[in-house]
Amino acid sequence: MSDSKAGVKDVDLSIYDFRYEEKDFYRVDEGLTEDIVRQISKEKKDPEWMADFRLESLETYRKMDIPEWGPDISGLNMDDIVTYVRPNTEMKAKWSDVPDDIKNTFERLGIPDAERKSLAGVGAQYDSELVYHNVKEEVKEQGVVYTDMESALTNYEDMVREHFMKLVPPTDHKFAALHGAVWSGGSFVYVPPGVSVEIPLQSYFRLNAPGAGQFEHTLIIVSEGADLHFIEGCSAPKYNVANLHAGCVELYVGKNAHLRYSTIENWSKNMYNLNTKRAICEEGALMEWVSGSFGSHVSYLYPMTILKGDNSHVEFTGITFAGKGQNLDTGSKVIQIGKNTSSAIDTKSISKDGGISTFRSAVTIMPDADNAKTSISCASLMLDDRSRSDTVPALDIRTQDADVGHEAKIGRISDDAIFYLMSRGISENEARAMIVSGFANPVSKELPLEYAVEMNNLIHLEMEGN
Amino acid sequence: MGNMIKLKGALNPLPTLTWNFLKLNQVDVDWDIDLNRRGDMIIQNIPRGVSVKMNGGILDNVSGAAGSLTTELMEKEKVETLGIRVEAGVCAEVPLKLNYVLGEGDGMLRRQEIVAYEGSEVTVAMDYTAGRTESGFFGIQTKLLAKKGSIIRLIKTNLLGDKYLHFEDIAGIAEDGARIELIEMELGGGKNYIGTGIELSGAKSSFVGNVGYLCRGQKIMDMNYLVRHTGRKSESSFKLRGAMRDSSIKNFRGTIDFRRGAKGAKGDEQEESILLSRDVRNKTLPIILCDEEDVEGTHGANIGRLSEDVLFYMGSRGIEKSEVEALMTKAKLDSVRRLISDQVTQGRIQQFMEEALDHA
Repeated sequence: MSDSKAGVKDVDLSIYDFRYEEKDFYRVDEGLTEDIVRQISKEKKDPEWMADFRLESLETYRKMDIPEWGPDISGLNMDDIVTYVRPNTEMKAKWSDVPDDIKNTFERLGIPDAERKSLAGVGAQYDSELVYHNVKEEVKEQGVVYTDMESALTNYEDMVREHFMKLVPPTDHKFAALHGAVWSGGSFVYVPPGVSVEIPLQSYFRLNAPGAGQFEHTLIIVSEGADLHFIEGCSAPKYNVANLHAGCVELYVGKNAHLRYSTIENWSKNMYNLNTKRAICEEGALMEWVSGSFGSHVSYLYPMTILKGDNSHVEFTGITFAGKGQNLDTGSKVIQIGKNTSSAIDTKSISKDGGISTFRSAVTIMPDADNAKTSISCASLMLDDRSRSDTVPALDIRTQDADVGHEAKIGRISDDAIFYLMSRGISENEARAMIVSGFANPVSKELPLEYAVEMNNLIHLEMEGN
Repeated sequence: MGNMIKLKGALNPLPTLTWNFLKLNQVDVDWDIDLNRRGDMIIQNIPRGVSVKMNGGILDNVSGAAGSLTTELMEKEKVETLGIRVEAGVCAEVPLKLNYVLGEGDGMLRRQEIVAYEGSEVTVAMDYTAGRTESGFFGIQTKLLAKKGSIIRLIKTNLLGDKYLHFEDIAGIAEDGARIELIEMELGGGKNYIGTGIELSGAKSSFVGNVGYLCRGQKIMDMNYLVRHTGRKSESSFKLRGAMRDSSIKNFRGTIDFRRGAKGAKGDEQEESILLSRDVRNKTLPIILCDEEDVEGTHGANIGRLSEDVLFYMGSRGIEKSEVEALMTKAKLDSVRRLISDQVTQGRIQQFMEEALDHA
């Protein structure tokens, strides 16, 4: 009965929980050894510097410790993880050329349909490699480059070399080092100066193989005065063994440029999501993060923004829904270096059915960041008495010349609000659903309509009678 | 040279860990301290119905937020406990005063307990004093037990010298309907490590904390406040107000911990800090831990410079920026000072503040 008390179901992941058997896929052995890293490097035909980079990252990985803070990841055993699984196809530019089982996967996820209706380009990754990549001609004609990372390594090697894992060095933490050693797939975007990409690009990451890891690398360079909205989606079927996602996103936002990076993370509940995302903003740049975290067994996810340039800004809007068996540790990090920078973090979290949600943040204002402003707001909703919700927001202010505002609130759905709505003829369950939908609204309204609908479907706020 | 001791370990550990790069999970100390046991304790105004005697320690199971290192030190050095007992139903009409008077080079450890039996009420005012420029060491542990329906009001005034090393460990439990009030003026000392942990175990128990601080010069103020709600309908309110000047450092950790079963509990924590120098470093970590659905927890913080509006308004009336800063600092601290009813203590705080700001 306590489940129905809140009247809100877990996020319904069943529409993502389907799978096809692997046919003629290439897999490396389980575990993480120098031979396996060399094998991945060889399979991917890395240039020499990248092959060396991988081995150095492996050394760094071995020297670093598992973090002692945050959710327990003792269930993740790297000896059981397959770090590279290549599907039985090359990357295609037409859906009709993609093998049926893989194509069907993405069709069920609605990717080709979304591409037709509302996207300027799509990249679709299946396990460790992209299987589809396409961008509209008019976007190409603007000089925009949107391609897979492997092609970028060949065709834009200097640009990749200049930026790859410079924002997130392998020494950042153990799983950044792991990423450096075994990364595969992901997208590369370059938007030339002054170019505004009117409709979004999207990369979708699907991890189909049981016991595998996905380590895609996303590198986006938005040049001076340019504008881009990039959407990232991810899902996986549920298995009884641990899967691992340790991707890396590096975003370079040029002078007076604007980048919006939207994510709907929807991994299955056997996934350890240890992802790293980071952006650096030059003078006058605006970075916007919109982040929805619904899936995974365990998440460590804190997109970070470095406001290097004067008058640069960041807005982070996030929602986390932790249901049964989930421990989602999410939030954001900001470093303000330039003058007149500002940051705004606004997050919501919902915990239900024994789920654990932690909001964790760190805003650092450096000594020369004159006239810095930051505002952090986090609200958490507890939907039953078996769940848990924590907020751990840190502020490190190293200058006088700052305005800092912080507010946090944790609680349950107010009885007064329920009573008010019921007094106007709305049933208790409808009232609860309305309140939870309203709670999530600040995030969904930041998404394009199609994705807001997807997110609302994802939350699946079904009402139950007591 | 008296009795050199080594204090090595962790102070002020967080109840939940976070990123190591923040350097807020705990304070690692490795101090050589001259524990010469010099310094005086003067007890004044023992109210009727209140007993005070040495070797009165009974609260071994009460632990706070400073970490186990302080207790280990007290036990190793065999520090006697000053036991203060308030008889049931007694409402102590005057504050019991514990004045700790220290001088240049003094090193003192103190341990005390306050037990307020059912329905009683007591105010205990602890003053720590040394000369403004003096150095030394003062470590103190205070344990509180507020039995059913009782009130303990603890007032702490830190007027230690600028070079004093000071640690404080306050740990308390409030039973059904009991209340613990803490009024704290952290003005002196060079390196201060303050840990306060209150457990609201009783139904409708409460905690009200008001802390004023002044960080100036090279001062380090490291604070760890923890309120743990285990009792139903327990309530806590904590306010930290102060100012930072020069190249001072402040670390503030404030945790509201709602444990399962604390139905109907409410906790609120607010910080208002003004930063008056480019060289200050302020770290703030307000945590809410929530293992119970039926609670309300809130945090708020306003930290930063004086507003342009205030500076313009004052400037248009001929008041210089330095004077405005002193005025606003006093105003922040006065909002806590005024909560202290004892006029003598108020006056001493006023004098200390004026001297401190004159020398800023």
